[in-house]
Amino acid sequence: MARSTRKVSAIVWLRRCIQTLCLLLFFYLFLQTAYHPINRTGGPVALFFELDPLVLAATWLAGAPVPLTLLFSLGTLGVSIFFGRWFCGWVCPLGTLHQMMTQVRGGTTASRLNRAVYSPRQRWKYLVLIGLLAGTLTGLNLIGWVDPFSLLYRSLATAIFPAFNLGSHALFAWLYESDPGLGSMRVTRVSEPVYEVLRRYLLVEGRPQYYWGILIGLVFGGILVLNLWRHRFWCRYICPLGALLGLAGKNPLLRLKKDQEACNDCRLCVAVCPAGANPDGPSDRSDAWKPAECFFCWNCESVCPKQAISFEFAVPSREHS
Amino acid sequence: MTDLSRRVFLKQVALAGAGLQAGLLSPGLASASTAPKMSIAKYRTSPAESEGVAEEAARLTRQVIKDLGGMSRFVSKGDVVWVKPNIAWDRTPEQAGNTNPDVVATVIRMCYEAGAKQVMVGDNPCNAGERTYPNSRIQPAGEKAGARVVQLDKRKFKKMALNGKALKDWEMYTDMMEVDTFINVPIAKHHGLAGATLGMKNLMGVCGGSRNRFHQDLTNVLPDLAAFVKPKLIILDGIRVLPVNGPRGGNLDDVKRKDTMVAGVDQVAIDAFGATLLGMEPKKIAHIVEAANRGLGTMDYTSLSPAESLV
Amino acid sequence: MKKWSDNVMWRWLLSFFRPGKGPRINLGRRNVLTAGALGVGAACLCRVHPQASGRVFNPALIRPPGAVDEQEFLSRCIRCGECMKVCPTNAIQPAGLEAGIKGMWTPVLNMNVGYCEFDCTLCGQVCPTDAIRELPLEEKQKIKIGQSFVDKNRCLPYASARPCIVCEEHCPTPTKAIWVEEIEVTNASGQKVLVQQPHVDPELCVGCGICQNKCPIKDQSGIYVTSVGETRNSENQMLL
Repeated sequence: MARSTRKVSAIVWLRRCIQTLCLLLFFYLFLQTAYHPINRTGGPVALFFELDPLVLAATWLAGAPVPLTLLFSLGTLGVSIFFGRWFCGWVCPLGTLHQMMTQVRGGTTASRLNRAVYSPRQRWKYLVLIGLLAGTLTGLNLIGWVDPFSLLYRSLATAIFPAFNLGSHALFAWLYESDPGLGSMRVTRVSEPVYEVLRRYLLVEGRPQYYWGILIGLVFGGILVLNLWRHRFWCRYICPLGALLGLAGKNPLLRLKKDQEACNDCRLCVAVCPAGANPDGPSDRSDAWKPAECFFCWNCESVCPKQAISFEFAVPSREHS
Repeated sequence: MTDLSRRVFLKQVALAGAGLQAGLLSPGLASASTAPKMSIAKYRTSPAESEGVAEEAARLTRQVIKDLGGMSRFVSKGDVVWVKPNIAWDRTPEQAGNTNPDVVATVIRMCYEAGAKQVMVGDNPCNAGERTYPNSRIQPAGEKAGARVVQLDKRKFKKMALNGKALKDWEMYTDMMEVDTFINVPIAKHHGLAGATLGMKNLMGVCGGSRNRFHQDLTNVLPDLAAFVKPKLIILDGIRVLPVNGPRGGNLDDVKRKDTMVAGVDQVAIDAFGATLLGMEPKKIAHIVEAANRGLGTMDYTSLSPAESLV
Repeated sequence: MKKWSDNVMWRWLLSFFRPGKGPRINLGRRNVLTAGALGVGAACLCRVHPQASGRVFNPALIRPPGAVDEQEFLSRCIRCGECMKVCPTNAIQPAGLEAGIKGMWTPVLNMNVGYCEFDCTLCGQVCPTDAIRELPLEEKQKIKIGQSFVDKNRCLPYASARPCIVCEEHCPTPTKAIWVEEIEVTNASGQKVLVQQPHVDPELCVGCGICQNKCPIKDQSGIYVTSVGETRNSENQMLL
């Protein structure tokens, strides 16, 4: 029993590493989006957009010529057909931020259940997707307002990073001016070398500022705060990319299998499910596990005290339909 | 000087006024009374390829300093030196918008040879420093020569009392004003308003704030700067000059090879000679005349008996 | 005995073609139609704005060089902000209502904040949907994103007999688009002085905005750029 628990937890740890790496990669590419001599950036800075099938769909439906680089996103779509919304669970940096925000509020299993349980309102994101696609087809492409990478990048670029950049410069300027310390032990002996390093790798001398940045930042903050009310609120209720991947991945090859006899109805799996995919569903039609919602994060399998949940390559069984 | 005492020094400078600065930063006149005040060096050939020009720059720079009595006349052992080239524009060395990088590198090396503890290189540019520093090639050349090439730190501009005719006070870069030796390394270019941009105009790179207001009275602003900063040594790059369409330039056809360099302690004389390199008459350039009238130097550089060399 | 038809992959592929076996996403037909109708309705409503059909042009709607024609631009731009991040002078800003409400947070240049660096093509390099096309530098330098105009009521050599020429000094085009005319004027003390008054040659100006950005009249420049003359729009023109 102990051995299988450790093996399952390994997948959760692997997932967390990959999520972290993807988030760090997103930040890294963000920082590389800047002037490097001569007249170039520091790498494939639009990579995440090239992997985003919603951007491909938007560009194509709007009747615009599709840049070839966007075709990489067909890979994302293709893998989703096999593994459902793995992208949401393992890769999406906005999803990772939502996941981190969700963990901020702990609590008992019972209180988390309320925030984690499946809600029929999770269908809204499909309607958002349909509305956006219909608009795009008829000449109004607003997908960029709601696409998760656009949202994250735009918020970082116009609000979060400038705030951090200006705040940091202000802090070190204040330390330099006021020169706090005791006798010959001055704070600047430490803060100045730190500032040098930050200026070289993280901060920007140009001090960018943006109109509308405050509103964009507040909207982003608001969306993050919603995670305290419902787990991964954005991912469940709004994200049109999640909806698209859910549609593509609604019949995945990898499926959740629940051992009905072993289950003791503790509902821990539901409490830790970020997606509201109903992992404790008894596989009946109406109440079953929802593959179109599932992020394949492996939390349910990891946490189940009876090892009743597992994932395997399967097809929806005929006897259960 | 420790950081603490430097800041104390600065407060004194800012409060006391012009008299205090002039005394602290003027060149050691006592030791220089017999040494030449100016030297001119010309290159015999005008090499086309960049290696040839680099060699020329190094040799001319060394000669022109040697003829003044050597760098040790200006840099003592343990000194902190600021070398201030023109790194204002996003231009390559061939376009003659900024100081020749090999001139700068040679100056840095000579400072270290004279025993400098630390040589810093920096300028407050017109275009973005992240472009001008690498594209002018001054950053790689300076770093290779062992200098600390510095993108200016916005926190280090402090209001100082110039008490000039046009500028009562202005934000100046503290690190440039605090060093033991400040060496001005301009390039000779035409300027649409001033007539020419030479050594005194190059001092605008020590200033912060809204320098775009200076143009309303350059005739008085530039001598105000010259009187306040008082570089210990001025080395004018006249290898490639821009006699038209300065100060930004861009068209290679506008660049002229003069293969000449001049160095000295008299800011007005250096600028006057630089004007002749551009084919202009010094007395037609208002800020040179004004500086001469204020006693900051002499326009008649021949009266200084400059040491002349052919390299 | 294991039949080949029991193979998971095969059965899985088949399951796509046998409706009713897999799970459903039950959205409700009415909801779907409503969502679609709202999308189409919004698209129609947005056509009401006089800017939507290119009937009027907003002088503040200065798009980055390499941007495609406005209707196409609004279709391609995903408001990601990559161009806003990469612009080295911070000129590219999220639009407010310059392009109508549907253009909110698309990129526009604000020449008070920054200017379009003449030797730069970074925005075109980073745009994921080619709303801003990546152009070779020589081609970008021929593109006009707007036209600068001298405000003679403010420009110092015109309005107050004071010398300046900062705009001419910074103009980056190979032959400067700003040329100066030396004029003798009377200053406040009644003296005759020579000032250089700037003029813009509209055939040379690319609308980069460095003149507006560097003008010492900080609150409202003595020379400013508007969108007219932009290469990407054959209607928003003023020259013959």
